[in-house]
Amino acid sequence: MTDTLLSAASPGSRNREQVRKGLRRRHRSEVLFRWAGILSIVAALGFVAILFGMILSKGMPSFWQSTLHLEAYFDPELIEGGPQPQREDSNSDADYQRAYSNWQRAVTLSNWNTVVETAIRAQVPEFEIETGDLLDLVTTAARFQLRDQYFANPDVLGQTMPVSILGSANTDNWLKGTIDRSQPDARQQLAPETRQLADQFLEQGIIRFDFAGHIFTNVDSRSAPASAGLAGAFMGSLYMMMVVIVLAVPIGVASAVYLEEFAPKNRWTDLIEVNINNLAAVPSIVFGLLGAAVFINYFGLPRSAPIVGGLVLTLMTLPTIIIATRSSLRAVPPSLRQAALGLGASRNQTVFHHVLPMTFPGILTATIIGVAQALGETAPLLLIGMSAFIANIPSSPMDSATALPVQIYLWQGNENRNFFEARTSAAIIVLLGLMLMLNAIAIFLRSRLEKRA
Amino acid sequence: MNALVIAALLLVLLTFSYQVGWSRSRKLAGNKSQHLHSRPIYHGVLAALFAVLPAMVIIGIWALFSEQVTNSFIVAQLPPETAQLSQMQLQAAIARVKAIASGYGVVGEPSATEVVAAQVFASYQQISFLAVLAAAAAIGAGGLFWAQRRIGPRLRARTEVEIFVRIALMACSAVAIVTTLGIVLSLLSDALRFFSFINPLDFFFGTTWNPRFQSAGTGSAGEYGLLPLLWGTVMISIIAMLVAVPIGLMSAIYLSQYADERVRNVVKPIIEVLAGIPTIVYGFFALVTVGPFFAAAGDAVGIDINATSALTAGVVMGIMIIPFISSLSDDIIAQVPRAMRDGSLGLGATQSETIRNVLLPAALPGIVGAVLLAVSRAIGETMIVVLAAGNSPVLRFNPAEPTSTVTVSIVNQLTGDADFTSPQSLVAFALGLTLFAMTLLLNVMALYIVRKFREQYE
Amino acid sequence: MDMIAGKIKLTSKTVDQSMNPLDVLERETRLSARDVTVHYGDKQALFGISIDIPDRAVTSFIGPSGCGKSTFLRCINRMNDTIEGARVGGSIKLDGDDVYDPNLDVVELRARVGMVFQKPNPFPKSIYENVAYGPKIHGLARSRTDLDEIVVSSLRKAGLFEEVKDRLNEPGTSLSGGQQQRLCIARAIAVGPQVILMDEPCSALDPIATAIIEELIDELRENYTIVIVTHSMQQAARVSQKTAFFHLGKLIEEGVTEDIFTNPEHKQTQDYIMGRIG
Repeated sequence: MTDTLLSAASPGSRNREQVRKGLRRRHRSEVLFRWAGILSIVAALGFVAILFGMILSKGMPSFWQSTLHLEAYFDPELIEGGPQPQREDSNSDADYQRAYSNWQRAVTLSNWNTVVETAIRAQVPEFEIETGDLLDLVTTAARFQLRDQYFANPDVLGQTMPVSILGSANTDNWLKGTIDRSQPDARQQLAPETRQLADQFLEQGIIRFDFAGHIFTNVDSRSAPASAGLAGAFMGSLYMMMVVIVLAVPIGVASAVYLEEFAPKNRWTDLIEVNINNLAAVPSIVFGLLGAAVFINYFGLPRSAPIVGGLVLTLMTLPTIIIATRSSLRAVPPSLRQAALGLGASRNQTVFHHVLPMTFPGILTATIIGVAQALGETAPLLLIGMSAFIANIPSSPMDSATALPVQIYLWQGNENRNFFEARTSAAIIVLLGLMLMLNAIAIFLRSRLEKRA
Repeated sequence: MNALVIAALLLVLLTFSYQVGWSRSRKLAGNKSQHLHSRPIYHGVLAALFAVLPAMVIIGIWALFSEQVTNSFIVAQLPPETAQLSQMQLQAAIARVKAIASGYGVVGEPSATEVVAAQVFASYQQISFLAVLAAAAAIGAGGLFWAQRRIGPRLRARTEVEIFVRIALMACSAVAIVTTLGIVLSLLSDALRFFSFINPLDFFFGTTWNPRFQSAGTGSAGEYGLLPLLWGTVMISIIAMLVAVPIGLMSAIYLSQYADERVRNVVKPIIEVLAGIPTIVYGFFALVTVGPFFAAAGDAVGIDINATSALTAGVVMGIMIIPFISSLSDDIIAQVPRAMRDGSLGLGATQSETIRNVLLPAALPGIVGAVLLAVSRAIGETMIVVLAAGNSPVLRFNPAEPTSTVTVSIVNQLTGDADFTSPQSLVAFALGLTLFAMTLLLNVMALYIVRKFREQYE
Repeated sequence: MDMIAGKIKLTSKTVDQSMNPLDVLERETRLSARDVTVHYGDKQALFGISIDIPDRAVTSFIGPSGCGKSTFLRCINRMNDTIEGARVGGSIKLDGDDVYDPNLDVVELRARVGMVFQKPNPFPKSIYENVAYGPKIHGLARSRTDLDEIVVSSLRKAGLFEEVKDRLNEPGTSLSGGQQQRLCIARAIAVGPQVILMDEPCSALDPIATAIIEELIDELRENYTIVIVTHSMQQAARVSQKTAFFHLGKLIEEGVTEDIFTNPEHKQTQDYIMGRIG
């Protein structure tokens, strides 16, 4: 070996020269590489910023909507059906129901539009405008709003009451400038008189931009876009999330516990393991197909019902919860198990008394991640009919309903783009707000629980 | 009401039987000469299980079948011609009887037969309810009796309870298997029904997709060609990867190798926010912001770019996948031993030389796995393409033009009134099967590669 | 003692296999450290280390684990730069160039000061590519034949060539532990360094592989300045001419290896050598 040393490139000056020569080029490429990294991060952060900036700037104005503050006279001449029937007048429940519904029908069929019209004209007695154009100023739901107000309190018959009526979607567009105000008359949605009146009302303070609480309390509406709200979709989502929590969490935690703590390591367990990992990566729309074929077509569960949506989302969320629970079970030190087993506890006792309580923060986080993921899922719900237009707040998980993300999908497709682009963004803000809240709760609870442990 | 009563009674049975088991074993334990195998709690739980489970089975069976039994009972009470009525009328007749029986009444005068039927039905209802309760109670009591007979010092109550718990756990873990089976079977069976209308060869190799105007008589099989959809899916996925892989990988590298801890702690969660945003939001973003931006940019340089196109959908999908790639590559780069990095730095390599020549080659299998997982995500993604790809299922190679994908067509074919009999809606399952097979293949490959990679450094 | 070693220039250019232990005092100083301190975050790991390291000899750092010997070693080629929160004070001079001079290029420094790590860490590349890596990045080879020559001669010097000459294209990880470590030494040699730092190079190896590496170190010292950290006192006694004893981040004692082992000045050194400090 010694002779080989003679052929050694002598360590020193020749090599150092060579190294020096390359240094500039190498440092330049180092800097370039670094900048590529920085630019990537800037791009990723930029996308977050643009996305949120777009949603917030488009959506926030939608929470303040043009509202007319009027005095409405509940004219007995116009409102039919007389006073509300009382229970004593009738013989049986059925009879009373019949009288009551007759009264309801009469009230409903009354000419409420004229009540609205009178209330508006009272503000500007001189202004000349056709009835149709005048009513374009307010939402088509204005008459239902007054009617519902009357149903809630039939004693106002013959009295004048202050009311707040939403402006129509087109009025809102005009006043906010979401439609191009310089467009010629032919391209405008509202008649020139209506636009003039809207501007005048805004100046007089009769139209104000009030907080649009109805976004949270109303259901979707096609005929009266201005008063469309998220309440129905919210309840649909809520029911589904309840189903997910009630089913996915116990089943997910139980199967994680079984696989991690009890299952013998054999082919069967391997199969389940591979299967769960794959299930986690199956596209969500495939779960929708499963729901349509099995739950609706085979088991005959109702279409559009949150119960079906909940079941589909449960199956979709299960792998997430199982995988996360397993990893937090794995994080429990084996010494704890050995200590408990060494004291004579059975395997079950060890797992349920000692191991599982330690993983509680992990399970909680997993649950919330899973629920948040399920909350934002859209595609499978389209396949089980939850994209149908539903005008009621569902009162049980078996009723037809839609969900928040599906509502977003429906609204973005509405023809009145000028109005619904903002309204869709508002719905997205609500959805993202809910998800943010869920995550905040998870972080808060987690830090509390970990401090205690 | 009934459900509440049943729940309350079951609860009573539960506590009672638990108490019986518990106190009996306590009595035995009090006798010092005998040493119990299990603590009284387990005897209690075992007794409760023996009593409540059979009772629940009885009630469950009743809940499943009571509807049919009740309805046929009412129909039997009504005049024979009622049975000939249409389904809707029959339901109405049954509802009337039920309304009278409940005391709510009906509008107008009920017929004599209806009143009689209602009376019989009312008593039937009571009797059947009580009978079921009695049966449940009897079998529960029997179970309890048997259980408490078995209580003794040698009874391995705890072991039995634990076996029960274990079976319950195992059943839960089988849900995942059942789900997969359900997916495969439902997709397969409905896809097969679709292939009874359309030749599979025409489906898999057809180049025209036009399901709506397919007339049964001509049977022009080219109408259900998969290729335009598949190409749209592939093209969008490629665009998405071109956006996501460089940005995701470079941010992961920068954050893990260059950035100091403070920067990392701020930037990482922000990028991960992108992963939590629902896909419908990305779809809206693509439709309202990105698409028009591309169209305007195209106008400015004189290229014709459609606002809804493969390009728009692909780029936005790429943005969605960035955090997926970056967090997976981050994990994988972290698994490459530090010694390997030190070895290269110790030789005088610059950091970027070390990353390019040592770190990335070492992490390559893992990164390939991550990319495959991301591709499987991209091809299964639905809402972005539904909103932003333009829904134009024509075989076209220009990414600036509208296109369509497998997922978009599934949504189109199955929303609205799905009747599960026409090829128009059944084709969704054939598409779903194709999608499932593709993603399954990618996932299995990816998981295998990543697993091998992990083993290498363990 | 270091005053003498630093100044006297009595170099025997002819290689002397059976070098007199005391000759180390007459070797030129290649590295000299003055008052080196290291902090990791708030924790101080090294307290004012000053030492001279002679050319063409093996210097070993010994001491109980956690005493700072590896930390100090990693200061010499600035590998501590790669650890977040590490701060180094004082000065280390390599042939009079301050290693911590902000104008000094770390890349160039590390080309002059090679390093061999505790666990063999071949790259996931072929044996050939492992050795060729350094010359390639530094642009030391003008042609393919040049590169071949460097690889072969480096493998020869590391005493590995005969064992691997038929499988240069197999992955470096396919070798045994001892061979891998020699591959890492060959990899370091290929860059043509002046100094080779070895951080417990035998701690992951079996006794036979250890013996081979020790022989190799003894041969290499004729052309390189070698600094070796070891937890084995026998190893230090076998391979090194100069030994420094570290304890709790301080340099307790340094000197000719034989002196340190036969006649330690400090109580702590005695205790360690007698096996009283773990």
